[in-house]
Amino acid sequence: MRQLLAVAAAGLTVLAASACTAPAPPRPAGAAATPTGPVTLPAPTGPHPVGTTVLYLKDTSRPDPWNLDADARELKVTLWYPTEQRDGQRAPYMTPKESELLLKGSKIVGVPYDTLSKTRTHAVKDAAPSGRGLPLVVLSPGFTKPVSTLTSLAEDLASRGYVVVGIDHPYESYVTALPDGRFAECIACDSDSDPGFGTGVVQGRAADVSFVLDRLPSEWDGSGRIDRSRIAMAGQSIGGASAMATLIKDSRVRAGIDMDGTTYARIPKGGFTRPFMFIGSPQHVPGGRDISWDRDWKLLTGWKRWLVLTGADHQSSTDLPLLAGALGITPAYGALDAKRAAELTRTYVAAFLDRHLKSQPQPLLDEPSADHPEVKFCPEACGRS
Amino acid sequence: MTAVRTAAAGLALLLAAACTAPTPPRSQASAAAGTACARPSGSLGAETPTTVDVIEQAYFCILDRYHAGAVLDARSLLAAGFLALTQELNRNGRDVPEAIMPALTGDRKADWAAFETAYRKVTDRVPDLRDKLAVTTLEAIVAALGDDHARWAHDAGRPPDSYDVDGYGLGLQVSVTSLQAGGDPGAAIPPLFVTAVQGGAAQAAGLRPGDIIEAVNDSAPFIDGRATPAVAALYPDYPEARPVELRLLRQATGRRWSVTLTPGLFPQDPAALRVVQSKLLEDDVAYVRLRGFASDAANRVFKAIARLRTGRTLSGVVLDLRDNGGGSPAETTRLLSAFGHGKVTAYQCTVDGECEAMRTDDTVELLGLPLVVLIGPGCPSACEHFSAAVKDLRLGQLVGTRTAGAVSGPASSYLLSNNTLLGFPSKHHLGPNREVIDRIGVPPDHHVPPTAEDAAAGRDPALAKALTLLHK
Repeated sequence: MRQLLAVAAAGLTVLAASACTAPAPPRPAGAAATPTGPVTLPAPTGPHPVGTTVLYLKDTSRPDPWNLDADARELKVTLWYPTEQRDGQRAPYMTPKESELLLKGSKIVGVPYDTLSKTRTHAVKDAAPSGRGLPLVVLSPGFTKPVSTLTSLAEDLASRGYVVVGIDHPYESYVTALPDGRFAECIACDSDSDPGFGTGVVQGRAADVSFVLDRLPSEWDGSGRIDRSRIAMAGQSIGGASAMATLIKDSRVRAGIDMDGTTYARIPKGGFTRPFMFIGSPQHVPGGRDISWDRDWKLLTGWKRWLVLTGADHQSSTDLPLLAGALGITPAYGALDAKRAAELTRTYVAAFLDRHLKSQPQPLLDEPSADHPEVKFCPEACGRS
Repeated sequence: MTAVRTAAAGLALLLAAACTAPTPPRSQASAAAGTACARPSGSLGAETPTTVDVIEQAYFCILDRYHAGAVLDARSLLAAGFLALTQELNRNGRDVPEAIMPALTGDRKADWAAFETAYRKVTDRVPDLRDKLAVTTLEAIVAALGDDHARWAHDAGRPPDSYDVDGYGLGLQVSVTSLQAGGDPGAAIPPLFVTAVQGGAAQAAGLRPGDIIEAVNDSAPFIDGRATPAVAALYPDYPEARPVELRLLRQATGRRWSVTLTPGLFPQDPAALRVVQSKLLEDDVAYVRLRGFASDAANRVFKAIARLRTGRTLSGVVLDLRDNGGGSPAETTRLLSAFGHGKVTAYQCTVDGECEAMRTDDTVELLGLPLVVLIGPGCPSACEHFSAAVKDLRLGQLVGTRTAGAVSGPASSYLLSNNTLLGFPSKHHLGPNREVIDRIGVPPDHHVPPTAEDAAAGRDPALAKALTLLHK
């Protein structure tokens, strides 16, 4: 009689269990502290200045999966890319209204609602792109978050010579600004404890990415600078899970990175050979509570890595730890330093992309590094914590 | 086998209810200090083996916190545990001379000490069976409460290769629910037939709704009109993987054949798993299928109805609760509040009859639409709270068949020292007229039973009846 937690009722069990645990706001364990004032994101480390611009696309071939009254899927795309232009207006991190909706949705109080709009970035707004034969990286954010929460990573990759295509998937974030002053709020949040929710999200995001890749040449005048044979995708949380789903579905995407996301897409039983890297917090060690990486690991038959960052949490690969001070949140005791977390994320994501899109050898990915002692290579060199 | 089945359906209810059940008052604090259990907080640690200390903790936890804990004869729990212990020894061919039930006096602490001494004597003789015997004993003690909402969740395995949309089993549902098959099948009536093919082995074997199951593993599903234990094999729980042989009859063609179905994982359509599903029927009826009273369920139902109502005049709402897993009493009351104000939807009572009224939230806007609720044996717990309130308070009409009769009270979970969860209600549930609904269920106002013929033809007579009522 070992079956009390029966999988026959798995659907409802999961539903009920997750209904008990509302998604936690970012870094909820932190005690309130005096806000530090606006943050400047860490400077990009590559040789190129960075430009950025925003596109709005509309896929009329399918209805929106969340807004039942929208008969087309709208997408907001933020591009970051190398430019020659060093000077010019820096792009806003987000607008005051976007900051407000994100903070309200995340239940962050005690700081002015426009706080995040004061964050200083490095990319020059609407600068002319430069370079030729550039590899492309799609970025997909975590659930409830706009893709601007991955700006630190995006700017750094662009400075290293990548065209970064950040996608906002409307209604899956507390805020997505759409044309004509409209804001999509988080309709998907209504059903995020339903069984099968994650599977539905990653299916939808894979379709979003394929549509963006289809349309980019006609929608962005810098597209001629892209080498379309060198495309990868990375994402945080459900965005990372969506990278897996997209790779499986769209053969144009050659390699993928999942930053701490439980995965949902079904890898073909025969295995999957394209390069893939998991980078996670200690919640994602082999044999942990989330079985999805163990499950997928067996089916990944090509180049693969599973890295776990000591002291990291679920948001470590996003800008949120960098912004914690401005939001009056004290990091949990023992947490990885925010700047260090950003540095590790940038370093290892870039190493993966340089290896698989630029064919550059990356010793960093072959074995543990004395300069990066926080990074454990799983499953061999990391125990269950 | 029997208790296993009940567990499957019931755990969901337990967990869901655990979200909202109030913490029991401290006045019920343990007589045996240091053994009482606490509510879990944070994520569970890794499960460790069940020991006699865990059994002791569970025993005093029940006596402290279970709604009838203060009045129940604790000797009945220990006797049930000891009986299961001896049976497990015997099944393993290892009965021992020391396996004698100790004399009990009715003093709960002294009786535990006597039990523990006897228990240790037995298990010391068969150290290799120690873990298994502890599990069997504790399961029997919990089962002795005879309460569908009393559960011990342990060894919570999930198939390592499963995805979040995967179900486990044969991939079918039949006219006897899993709750009935595992608990009290008294309300089940013949014939046994397939009501839904979800995927997996059943789909691969070509089964269809309406197919009559004449035998399960060569045993009749009904004898003299009463369901037999054979039916339970249709709802295997992981890791059970024994193939199940079915003898089938397709009435339309007269074909008789046999299939062997092996339990396993099967993918499901995420859209079909959504907790709230809605559509417009006959241009003026909002049909909402609610699969559980999950957090925010009421608001999601309101949104769905508001959307269907935009730009048209509705003649009513059909709320389909026939495969609702139960859930939160607070969400139940909130949903009821859209159909009536100033009402008591249920009572939650202590063993000495002190009852807390669950009142409608009168800040919820009234929908002002006629309501028909579809019910059946797949409507337990919070779903019966809802159904009974609709009936007693005349908020709408109930169509279908009697509900599950599994609403003992909102269950709370308690953490045991080996990182397993013990759950049970600290109060018992009564309907708006203070009637007992547990075990008895809520009868429909319009009895429309499902039939194999309707299932085969894809007809839904209960829904048809609901639409007729709304268009009268």
